[in-house]
Amino acid sequence: MGTWFSRSLSKLRTEAVLDKRLLLVSGKGGVGKSAVSAALAQLATRQGKRVLLIDMGESAGLTAHLGISELEFTPREVRTDLFAMRMVRSDALIEYLTLQLSLRGLKTLGPLARAFDALATAAPAVREIISIGKVLWEVRERHWDLVVADAPPTGQIGSYLRAPLSIAELVPTGRIQRQAAWMGSTLSNRDLTALVLVNLAEELPTTETAQTLEWLEQNDLVGPPTIVTNRLVDELVTAPSGTGPVRDAAIHHQAVYSEQQRWLGRLPPDITLPYLFGLLTPSEVAARLSDEFEERL
Amino acid sequence: MTAALLVTGAGGVGKTTVSAALGVTAARSGKRTLVLTVDPARRLASALGVGDELGSEPQPHSEEPNLWAAMLDSSLSWRSVATKHADPEVAGRLVNNEFFLAASEHFPASQSYAAADQAATFVEAGAWDLVVIDTPPSAGGIDFFTAPAQMADLVGGRLLRWLTGGPLPGRFLYRRAGRPMLRIADSILGNDLLERVAEFLLDLRTTYDGVADRGRQIEALMGRATILVVTTADPAPITEAARFYRELPEVGGTPAAVIFNRTLPDDWIGFEPPGNVDRELAENLARWGAESLRQSDARAEFAAVNRAEVATIPWMPEPPTDLDGLALLIERAGSLPSGLLEPT
Repeated sequence: MGTWFSRSLSKLRTEAVLDKRLLLVSGKGGVGKSAVSAALAQLATRQGKRVLLIDMGESAGLTAHLGISELEFTPREVRTDLFAMRMVRSDALIEYLTLQLSLRGLKTLGPLARAFDALATAAPAVREIISIGKVLWEVRERHWDLVVADAPPTGQIGSYLRAPLSIAELVPTGRIQRQAAWMGSTLSNRDLTALVLVNLAEELPTTETAQTLEWLEQNDLVGPPTIVTNRLVDELVTAPSGTGPVRDAAIHHQAVYSEQQRWLGRLPPDITLPYLFGLLTPSEVAARLSDEFEERL
Repeated sequence: MTAALLVTGAGGVGKTTVSAALGVTAARSGKRTLVLTVDPARRLASALGVGDELGSEPQPHSEEPNLWAAMLDSSLSWRSVATKHADPEVAGRLVNNEFFLAASEHFPASQSYAAADQAATFVEAGAWDLVVIDTPPSAGGIDFFTAPAQMADLVGGRLLRWLTGGPLPGRFLYRRAGRPMLRIADSILGNDLLERVAEFLLDLRTTYDGVADRGRQIEALMGRATILVVTTADPAPITEAARFYRELPEVGGTPAAVIFNRTLPDDWIGFEPPGNVDRELAENLARWGAESLRQSDARAEFAAVNRAEVATIPWMPEPPTDLDGLALLIERAGSLPSGLLEPT
């Protein structure tokens, strides 16, 4: 079986990743999305950029990779020039209502926020636009050289990317409609925004990444994504021999290697990252991946 | 009585494979077993003997007479909330409503409710000795316990009360009441969006009694299920597994054991190869040994912190492609609780 996608592996796509203003990092659950987000943000910081890292999900992944206990909606500096925050939809909404709609000073903001929250349960794209809108607002405000979002998993990323368009369809006129148009154009601007899809060379992640690529191609909401395939083992030159654990570990390694090669062939990545053996803490993992990226970008 | 085995855990840890493996083992021991799975990989689906055509109706396995498999379909069954619990006219309006699909996609509890509802139906049917329930990745399993109440709350009008300003609202009441906040919201949104949402929620509200009753049945049933938590030794799924150990007892379930999938052999740890061994192979063992040590430490820590029974399933680089391969996972498992697959 050949590759599922004939993707042109443009050098530009990998080299320019850190020159964007916004990186949205997605992938199937469990592929190392948060580790890659933290690694990219740390690398950008090392290159002298002022970076905001946003945890858009509810997992504890990002905090662990940063070696901190928790994140709040207000960005805080976790390393020199590396700021991090967690998306809290209700906070993002209130900030939106006060800053962007100039409803500052309105005593009854709470009920309005709750009405919007009700809307977010039933109406398409409202909750997504609140989250992605906050991310894009941070890009627009230019406090940062780079915004890295540990974005929702591939199963949901489509509805976030499509949210501006969905909102424009739902609300055909007015301020919200105009803002949705601006958000959509920021996402689709290839100089500003890049989508990074983290993948594993295994059946389910590769299938899901391939489906995501297909969806992205059909919908054309964001430039071609950069595919990062994580946790790859290298080939053993020596054939397994001997007895006991030496032989067993060699056979295991070769089996992992050939299974990975099978899926790697189906979906060639732009960047590969190695399997990190025996590393104990998530922050060690993020630091090591950051070094690996530096060699490759 | 049909026993239910609920397999929970973070996405990507092999929950579906473990569920299938347990199901095959139970079936081979003579129990009529149904495996309810969520979005299986193609090779796993073919191992279960259902290929591409796995649907929400249980299908018997062609080679294993005691084994059935079916897929939990969360999109299909929100529709069934409408058709089961609303009168036909309202149901017709609901399923054609622009907000209906959005709500089913966006309210995570509704998907878990739908999946739990289907799973409960199969357990109640009494046609099987054991039903193995693989849980949707978004929910991870806890939602199976909390979703019925959340769903009742949603259709029962908590949100609706906000839009309408009263516990038993008439249609469009909020407009007449002239709630200023909603007028502002409407003016921002540029049209009558909130009103359309309110109409939808009013229709949905008629399903409340049915959804609440069914929710209590589902809760009772899930409360009787044996719960397993599946994880790998990686930090993210471990954090998730620990959360299940903390939170499941609060919602009416206590895990019987945690299963560490993809476990490496203990005897690779610190093994000193004889001097004549090829250097590359010795180094290879050393790094896998370090990985095995990390896994072993992670299991010990999890057991101590969460007071958990820890079982292991070995790391098979190539996923099982047939019944024997699935059964082998359980044969080679370490410390699985005895009587796990026995009817309760």
